[in-house]
Amino acid sequence: MEDLARIAIESALKTGARFSDVRIENSATTIIELNDGVSKQSLSSRIKGAGMRAFVDGAWAFAQTTDLTGDGMRSMGRSVAKMALATREKTTERFAIDGPSFQDRLHYSARKPFSSISIDEKMAFAKMIDDQTRDYDRRISSTRTVYTDLWTELYVANSLGTSIYTENAIPRIISAPTAKDGINRQSTFKSLSLRGGYEVMSASEAQNIGTAAGELVIDLLSSVCAKGGVYDVVMDPILNGVMVHEAFGHAVEADNWPAHATVLEDRIGTEVGPDNLSITDDPTLEGMRGSYEYDWEGTRATRRHLVTNGILTELLHGLETATRLDLEPNGAARSQSFMHEPLPRMSNTYMETGDWQVDELIQDTKNGIILCSPNYGYTQSAKGQFMFQASYGYVIENGEKGQMVRDVSLAGNILEVLAKVDAVCKDFLLDAGTCSKGGQAVPTMAGGPHARIRKVPVGGM
Amino acid sequence: MLSPLLAIGEKAITLAEKMGASQAEAYLAQSRSFEITAENNSIKNACETRDAGIGIRTIVGKKIGFAYVTTLNDSDIEEAVTNSMSLARASIADPDFVTLPNSESSHHSARGIFDKELDELTSEETTGLLIRAIDACKGSLDKWSHAIEAAVQSSSGVNAIVNSLGIVKSERKTCISIYTYPIIKDGKDQTASYEYQVSRRLNEINPEWVGTNAAELARGFLRPKTIDGGEMSVLFAPLGASAILGRGLADAVNADEVQMGRSYITDALGEGIASEKLEIVDDGLLPGGIGTRSFDAEGFPSQRTSVIKAGVLRSLLHNSYTANKENVDNTGNASRPSYSGLPDISTTNFIVSPGKGDLNELISELDEGVVCRNTGDSPNLTTGDLSAMIGEGYYVKNGEIQHALKNTLIGINMRDLLRRISHVGSDSRTTFSMVTPSIVIEGATITSG
Repeated sequence: MEDLARIAIESALKTGARFSDVRIENSATTIIELNDGVSKQSLSSRIKGAGMRAFVDGAWAFAQTTDLTGDGMRSMGRSVAKMALATREKTTERFAIDGPSFQDRLHYSARKPFSSISIDEKMAFAKMIDDQTRDYDRRISSTRTVYTDLWTELYVANSLGTSIYTENAIPRIISAPTAKDGINRQSTFKSLSLRGGYEVMSASEAQNIGTAAGELVIDLLSSVCAKGGVYDVVMDPILNGVMVHEAFGHAVEADNWPAHATVLEDRIGTEVGPDNLSITDDPTLEGMRGSYEYDWEGTRATRRHLVTNGILTELLHGLETATRLDLEPNGAARSQSFMHEPLPRMSNTYMETGDWQVDELIQDTKNGIILCSPNYGYTQSAKGQFMFQASYGYVIENGEKGQMVRDVSLAGNILEVLAKVDAVCKDFLLDAGTCSKGGQAVPTMAGGPHARIRKVPVGGM
Repeated sequence: MLSPLLAIGEKAITLAEKMGASQAEAYLAQSRSFEITAENNSIKNACETRDAGIGIRTIVGKKIGFAYVTTLNDSDIEEAVTNSMSLARASIADPDFVTLPNSESSHHSARGIFDKELDELTSEETTGLLIRAIDACKGSLDKWSHAIEAAVQSSSGVNAIVNSLGIVKSERKTCISIYTYPIIKDGKDQTASYEYQVSRRLNEINPEWVGTNAAELARGFLRPKTIDGGEMSVLFAPLGASAILGRGLADAVNADEVQMGRSYITDALGEGIASEKLEIVDDGLLPGGIGTRSFDAEGFPSQRTSVIKAGVLRSLLHNSYTANKENVDNTGNASRPSYSGLPDISTTNFIVSPGKGDLNELISELDEGVVCRNTGDSPNLTTGDLSAMIGEGYYVKNGEIQHALKNTLIGINMRDLLRRISHVGSDSRTTFSMVTPSIVIEGATITSG
């Protein structure tokens, strides 16, 4: 792989590129989906190819190939450099690309590599979870179980001298049942995903995920729609993670700065929240779904202190943004596959813990709402607006957890919401997610402790 | 002209049958696309993508396996066929599976989906379109500090389907889309909006319209305010209607979701589920449509399906699996994300029949309400509950726009939303998922704060 990458980069530089990088990927996935006990989808894929960029004075070009031969790489290098030179003619902003280089070769050794486990065994595991979900209660009317595993081998090289080989392994199990009681029907899902081999599926949380999903969907049968209004909201750890991800994480991706596309543009080094609030994005955590040692530009990943005691202290950088903002790159450039260009992205994002007890916080809230577990969320950094939806929650009345509610949406403003966080608890949990940006999905985690936001609009029926 | 992909597909099918498949299908796709992007008013990036791959579905009895690979090399295809077969053998038999489609059905030819001019468009010419859109956008924003993000994407490709029951089909398509996203500042106030066009023909793209319209929209969203919530009318402009109906209704009439009991629409065929004003067809043969194709993702012929007529649910959308399961006619709605997945079900061109009045006329008829130009939300498919943030919108009183909105949510169940459609406009436009005009809902819960 080293030789192929060198041929491509040399070819791009000789044609006139000032900077060039190459990603060569060989990934394999398995997806096993069961619906009501029968196979809905049994899929395997091989994602194999190379993507490369060439850069000249502020103009980028990107191309990819599945022709992994010397000739294929040489011709890709030439054509991508030519495209960058042509683009340069139309470009008005001039800048350079510079940064440190890294050399490393890391093998990831899972205790049970996916390739060592037969399809029959993975199928039997999915079947066990599917049966478990259905057996939880006779009101469960349909089940859906999805097992996936992803094995990635990635080589990244660039014209600054970087040469990085890494491997990654991510399994996931999802249980998504529907329950029916008369005309009342509810659906939900639970998922577990970490970095690791097939051994992740032996953990008790994975082995019992069908029961957990079954329990939740049966509980939802007695939930009601929330009444819309302005509430004091207690977020559970998982929902807090989504808030931090949507309301803040996207807005500190550094590609927003040259694009003037974030409401936080003038806020670096200033107060964006109360002094008990800190937010971290950490790809170096052991065994998490969003963890990696080097990013897709080959930069060593470091822990990023996005907000420290209420002050916006760090952004998520790739090589380009670090060069343009004259800061150190912190290894946040990620791609979905070799077919995509790296963009500054989050990894494992969370709010740091505080000193409240959860019980104490609920009592103190008097009247409000607890929001749990997200359906989804999204944001527009340029307008400062975000929204996310909790799949369920509970009304707080007189300081006590009461009626279960479902599908509760929360809308807010990036500049206003963190300042409204007034209490942060001691507990902590991270949950699996998948983040989309520019048409690329990457594995992430998000979480934190329980925390309270004062007076935010919550949608109702 | 027969695509060379067909020969590759036939070879894969033969191999699968040799390995013991009772039925087999190969889906192949090959495409070339350009994407040019701009940041902060300036061209920045050019991207050329050449994508080719094959997905192989094999069936052993009633057990199904699938594998794909992002190349068209013999050895990779052989590995994919082998993997697909071992997955089929390891699968749990699906008693409801009957057969893949055969080649007996009649064939309709889709028109207007391949444009020679677009196929031959160079990266330089593509860049030229984007510069025109940015210049038009800038021209309408000279009084404001602005940063325009923009992109144009053009693609030309061919897909092919071969199965062991005699289907051998391929088709070429072109597509172009262009957008501008101006971010503007006025003192401490910052906002953004966007406009886009998507078409199968180059001569339908108007970069100046895209640029100017985005700029005018962005100016209108400065100084947004919250409002007192309550029950009021909601006017969904075409992009908003497309978001709500294109996902929230289209997913609910997907026969697979209905059969699994996951849709808020159940046992409703032939019943009134919407206002009499609503008529929706799914037309896979609309000339030049974004969802138009001669055959679906399993090679079954495209057709025009009446989904809702005078508020009555006339048909669900089927692929071969769901149609066989219920023993009803296949509507040709199999779809897949290129070669990298199994067929599921989606709309082709999901078209709301236009009524009367454009957006401005509909606004002038509102006593009090909100306009939702777009939203990123979709309902809970099982309950139909929709809680949607107004991504871009206005507050209307006495027939006039008062101001832009922020932090405002619409709450309504889809079943009520469909019944409460009081007006369907005439301002139809093509979006990525639909062809729809504006629609007015006569009452939903608005929360703002």
